[in-house]
Amino acid sequence: MAIKSSLRNMVLVLTLVCLGASAAVAVIYSVTKDPIAAAATAKTNKAIEEVVPAFDNNPSEEVLNIAADLQKPDETNKVYVAKKGGEVVGYAVESTTKKGFGGPFTIMVGFTPDGTVYNTSVLSHSETPGLGAKITDKSSHFITQWNGKNLTDGSVNLSVKKDGGDIDAITASTISSRAFCDAMEIAANVFSNITSENK
Amino acid sequence: MSKFKYLIDGIVKNNPTFVLVLGMCPTLATTTSAVNGMGMGLATMAVLLCSNMVISLLAPVIPNKVRIPCYIVVIAAFVTVVQLVMQAYTPGLYETLGIFIPLIVVNCIVLGRAEAFANKHSVLESALDGLGIGIGFTLALTCIGLVREVLGNLSAFENKFSSSDGMLVFVLAPGAFLVLGYLMVLFNKLKDRKKKA
Amino acid sequence: MNTLIVSPSPHVHGKESTRKIMGDVIIALLPAVLVSIWFFGLSAIHLVCVSVLACVVFEYFIQKVLMKKRSTVGDLSAVVTGVLLALNLPVCSPWWLILIGAFVAIGIAKMSFGGLGQNLFNPALVARVVLLVSFPVLMTGTAFHAPETGYLFGNSDLASAALDATSGATPLGFVKEQLAKGVSMQEIMATPGLSYTQLLFANMGGSAGELSAVALILGFIYLLCRRVIKPWISLSILATVFVFAGILYLGDSSKYVDPVFHVLNGGLLLGAFFMATDYVTSPMTAKGQVIFGIGIGVITVLIRTFGAYPEGVSFAILIMNATVPLLNKFQPKRFAEEAQKK
Repeated sequence: MAIKSSLRNMVLVLTLVCLGASAAVAVIYSVTKDPIAAAATAKTNKAIEEVVPAFDNNPSEEVLNIAADLQKPDETNKVYVAKKGGEVVGYAVESTTKKGFGGPFTIMVGFTPDGTVYNTSVLSHSETPGLGAKITDKSSHFITQWNGKNLTDGSVNLSVKKDGGDIDAITASTISSRAFCDAMEIAANVFSNITSENK
Repeated sequence: MSKFKYLIDGIVKNNPTFVLVLGMCPTLATTTSAVNGMGMGLATMAVLLCSNMVISLLAPVIPNKVRIPCYIVVIAAFVTVVQLVMQAYTPGLYETLGIFIPLIVVNCIVLGRAEAFANKHSVLESALDGLGIGIGFTLALTCIGLVREVLGNLSAFENKFSSSDGMLVFVLAPGAFLVLGYLMVLFNKLKDRKKKA
Repeated sequence: MNTLIVSPSPHVHGKESTRKIMGDVIIALLPAVLVSIWFFGLSAIHLVCVSVLACVVFEYFIQKVLMKKRSTVGDLSAVVTGVLLALNLPVCSPWWLILIGAFVAIGIAKMSFGGLGQNLFNPALVARVVLLVSFPVLMTGTAFHAPETGYLFGNSDLASAALDATSGATPLGFVKEQLAKGVSMQEIMATPGLSYTQLLFANMGGSAGELSAVALILGFIYLLCRRVIKPWISLSILATVFVFAGILYLGDSSKYVDPVFHVLNGGLLLGAFFMATDYVTSPMTAKGQVIFGIGIGVITVLIRTFGAYPEGVSFAILIMNATVPLLNKFQPKRFAEEAQKK
């Protein structure tokens, strides 16, 4: 039933099939392009809303790229600036730690302008379900203990109590807790770099 | 009516997970909850249905020696389409399933049905077969996901019915193997009993 | 045995001999059980009773009702599994934890593979590992700094109070944490409740069976005298752990745990004497047994030193269990040689 496998036929058919397939993908791509971008922005905006006080600008459009370590200016973190009535009410700092138990994870930390943590939110992670994944439990003590702490004036030792710090770790998930502290420290460094640059 | 048989065969006699034991990688990796399993099953079903139909249409004009590359191009195109659509409209599920969506391309169920069924049957029959196998795969993945979720997380379809933690082992990789094994035993026992009756 | 039966491992010759061996193993485990009862009182009795009873009931039920066969409960192997399981659990385990453990041991690790003699992995260890992975908080959070009186039957309030108080500190876990903080081994050993004498006689940490090294050694000597087991597996495990941990310790004594602590602590003695030597899941030849033991020793130290879990004996034994068919294949038993010895 199939046609003869001559070189001409094979080249022709493969080319046509590839053309057809790419045309189909191209059409779908153009159709879904805007919804995909919208979904990504919606996700970022939702995370920002969670971690900073109420604002009326569009923080996704006011992004600063700030390095956590001024010695390494290439490794920047995204900082979303939230404003209300033209006045800055908070900064949402994206921060990624490589020390997670199941690989790197990314959190968003909201600071009020004086360096106090307003709220935090986990953007993506691959921690163990039921153990390290408790970092996503917004009502747990581990997450809420950060709120209201000032990370920039040196009053808080950013490590878990087992290591002599001020932070209560998640039971049986010391590694994830340490990684979370690491991410918070990066965020705090980024925050102090913003304020020093924008003064 | 006899064409209807292809649909039922895909669900019971040729169930891709419990009888053919195909597509084990996504089966084991994505069934951490019923919703994830179902999402993976539906995505695979969409690809399978479309690729089966298109391949049965194209089969007469495809030279024998390049049929596999042609099938793969068709399948890959549909997978990309599904991926884009999911990314746009179900971003949450898209993120959980992650790399396993693009990996549907190499799922042996899809190429297997193209090679073993679609290129020898009419478009309608191929569509029914794709649908049947797809439903069989989705049901199997949902079952595995449900059992793992209930035991491992004490929740069903993301409704938690107890605030404590379940047996974590079922959410982790070893639990996938255990649940798959026992469900396979159960499925085949029920199937045999039906045959004897 | 007049006819020569050539069959792969394991060799269970008949009900009587299995029963005799299992009886000996139970006697050998008694000192360890008694020590845990001495220290933990009622809760230890509760743990052992529930565990043994659950194992026997599950085995009987599965064989009678599901498989519709004659039950082999009489060969005492389920009792041994029950005692071993109990010794592998923390004393304050709630009853449902023990039941799940017994079900995993008998239902999944033993009966699914075809019952006694067919199982690839040691049932009690499979249960321990499944529970450890499933309920890490309950399984590692044992009473470390010595509860004087036992918890009463399944009193979960008391048990959880003790959990809060000590939160996940078995001696090994404690030492690992301290080392990570940069405290040296000598300073750690000065902590009250952590001395070598205490490790030998009663260290109060970890699972019910890890209390006293002396009790376990007594049981081991009994098994050797009764010729139930040969010493190769146990000795090669202990020697490997000692040497490997010793090399690490000599390399940097501030970062690694010293070898004596490694050998006396945690489930190593229990595992080396009673779990790794299980007939069904260990190699048949002396050479195979030594390779098996070395493998367990190396993996144990690797997991303890570099892994996420403080304890690695159970994982090590299970991993090496999987290699047993291979070890048996490369080291076929010489029938003539065996016959001459008899």
